[in-house]
Amino acid sequence: MRILEEGKADFLKVDSDGYRAYVRDNKPHQMVSKLMTEKEAVERFVHDGDYLAYDCNYFQRGPASLIREVIRQRKKNLWLCGKFTYVACALLVEAGCADRIDIGFVGFGPWISRAVREKKAAIYEYSNAVITLRLKAGAMGLPFLPARSFGGTEGFERSGCKVVEDPYTHKPVLVVPALNPDAALIHVHQADEYGNARVFGTGIAHQECALASKRVIVSAEEIVSTDELRRDPARTSIPHFAVDAVVHAPFGAYPGTVQGYYASDPAGVVEAMGAMYRGDFRDYLAKHVYAVASHEEYLEKVVGTKKLVEIRRRESIREGYDS
Amino acid sequence: MSSPATQFSEREFVICQIARLVEDKFIYWVGGGGEPLSGVLLAKRTTAPNLQYLTEDGVVGPEALVPFDPLMTMISSRANYRALQWGTMNYAAELAHLGYVDYGILNTLQVDRYGNINSTVVGKYEGGEGRRFGGPGGADSIAALAWRTVLVTDQQKRKFVDRVDFISSPGFLDGPGAREKHGLPPGTGPWRVYTPWAVYGYAEDCQLMLQAVAPYVTVEQVLGEMSFKPKIAPRVEVLEVPTDEELLVLRTQIDVAGQVTDRGRWVELKDGKYRFAET
Repeated sequence: MRILEEGKADFLKVDSDGYRAYVRDNKPHQMVSKLMTEKEAVERFVHDGDYLAYDCNYFQRGPASLIREVIRQRKKNLWLCGKFTYVACALLVEAGCADRIDIGFVGFGPWISRAVREKKAAIYEYSNAVITLRLKAGAMGLPFLPARSFGGTEGFERSGCKVVEDPYTHKPVLVVPALNPDAALIHVHQADEYGNARVFGTGIAHQECALASKRVIVSAEEIVSTDELRRDPARTSIPHFAVDAVVHAPFGAYPGTVQGYYASDPAGVVEAMGAMYRGDFRDYLAKHVYAVASHEEYLEKVVGTKKLVEIRRRESIREGYDS
Repeated sequence: MSSPATQFSEREFVICQIARLVEDKFIYWVGGGGEPLSGVLLAKRTTAPNLQYLTEDGVVGPEALVPFDPLMTMISSRANYRALQWGTMNYAAELAHLGYVDYGILNTLQVDRYGNINSTVVGKYEGGEGRRFGGPGGADSIAALAWRTVLVTDQQKRKFVDRVDFISSPGFLDGPGAREKHGLPPGTGPWRVYTPWAVYGYAEDCQLMLQAVAPYVTVEQVLGEMSFKPKIAPRVEVLEVPTDEELLVLRTQIDVAGQVTDRGRWVELKDGKYRFAET
């Protein structure tokens, strides 16, 4: 294939054969229980220096409780998959956990220019759907996939994408490098103890993220029986063998929403966004992350039952989310 | 009920212009929230009840329940209410690749002579010197793949620049044929730019062309709020003001909390002319 143009940025090395071998040797092919605490899951499956993906984001069915645990454990040198995200990248960079970001869309503010100026974080440019396509290539076991967008942009020049001559039509076409993250955090509505998981409603790329990533932590609002999942297999979004840890995390997306389960907490959302726009997360991290030892303690001491009842009550729509 | 309104904000004005563009027979990909979504929802509740739109999270044809909580324009039960189908981001991009998306409608930070879109940085990119913004997000897919792209922005010099500081999402790049050279599908590209003061299209050579202005501003005022001189249509039309019915629906059903429209200047009919209200 003739290469017509190339982005100049670093990107996570593409190794489809290596990933296949990893799946053979390390993924849990057998149904085994993986229920554990968030502390154990993050200790075992998120390592310093990892490429870390999460789906969706801190405010929308995101693994907010797991992100807080990653920060509590003071992970270092993470490379973040910053697609469709508001504050998670900012939190992880400001807390000293991450120093590289692939950006599709991130919540901005003074933090990001400062991180670049002070060389605390390197930025690589993509778009949201180019990143989810990279994950899809990774989830298909392929080294790359073509797309008809992103060519001609200045983000392209600062990405790992290329424009090549399509061997069939001989026209220029963009190709995106497969992305196989080292670790992924995914928050779901329901999972069984083995990691078979259900996501209700729309999403960004939870299935791609789970299948493309080497180590996958699923946090679930509800732990359900495998029999329950077998009653309606079409609703299983993620199969157990892609999952390494299952964490029971009711209100795990707080202050965000989980569709059909609870609404967002606007005050909590505005507090996090405000810290980002001010460019100072110190108070936010102290109160919402470091002051507690676990998500359970966070709900009890920082958020409180009254708030939880309120966000559950405010989520009145049930169509499509009932099991 | 459908008589021309005598008082409205310039923000309500642009939302009503977008609503009038939108038709039942097309499929739209709408950037999350703001004027684009308000305009589409206004059309859905007035002239185009069966129109379908997508957002980036792969929702197909929702009947959104507004208002939303802050930032909850996607992946929320209200935004995705009563949809025809629920998908994911790759699904939305696939539908756009296939050619189902007739129009994309989105906000932009900066636009240039060729309709290129900047949502990444104002100022210098390298070294973190400029003011950084969020990145293309879903706009790259819309701008590359929708048959026609409609931008919404403010009428300000800093928004209309000769060359954007950073091409986040593609317009016509540097002119005719450039999109195809970089792998984008033929027949796609920028189509209109809407502001609270004006509507632009593009000339044959892919350059931005002023087509119409609001009745409360002159062509000179519009040009005074651009950093470059665009092409000007042989006859610049004067846009029609919102109707009372449109404003009633917008104010009582769509933007009831003023999340979108509570900015911008107020316009009133005085002595037979629309003009900015004195503050």
